[in-house]
Amino acid sequence: MASSASPGKTAAALVAGWVLPGAGHAVLGRLRRGLVFFALVMGSFGLGVAHDGRLALYSSREWLLSSMQVLANVGVGPADAIARVSVYGEPAYVRRDGDPDPTQEARIETFRVRWRSALSIYGTAYLWTAGLMNLLLLLDVWDLSRGRKD
Amino acid sequence: MASHVVHLFLYSAIVAAFFAVLTRRERREQMRFGGLVFFGMTGGVLLLAYLMFPFPR
Repeated sequence: MASSASPGKTAAALVAGWVLPGAGHAVLGRLRRGLVFFALVMGSFGLGVAHDGRLALYSSREWLLSSMQVLANVGVGPADAIARVSVYGEPAYVRRDGDPDPTQEARIETFRVRWRSALSIYGTAYLWTAGLMNLLLLLDVWDLSRGRKD
Repeated sequence: MASHVVHLFLYSAIVAAFFAVLTRRERREQMRFGGLVFFGMTGGVLLLAYLMFPFPR
């Protein structure tokens, strides 16, 4: 059985892995594997953004579904916030339907325009897959640091 | 790029490579498992499409 990492190194690997996909594996000495994971996760993320993928917004009307969608997006790390700034003009995560605030109306309209795009169905699959893959990588980093895998 | 088939192969390749590297350590095992996932996904979709062919919208 492989030896376990110190709590500090485990925490550093988990944080690094979320901030930069694959970096958690690099912190634990699996540099090549980390590079492969980085290429796969960020490749999927890039395809998602390029294909008008849905950057989900939490809505109290569909709280369960929309929160799971946001979680899948956020899994990829700060890259998600950067994509939101480029799409919505700000790191937007919540939509309030019926709110007369022009910022909210513009946000919802941007969301709808992307959603109607013919490419959005592909882009959304790539985006959510990228986030979910990175969340799986964090679980793998945890197993590696606990010595459950080598 | 709006081709269903291109995205089918591209998406399957990404997912297959990810799970192969995640769950297998030896290169040979990775190739075998990745191939299994890739051909399972693409073959399954094409088989499903073929079975749905007699039932148009």
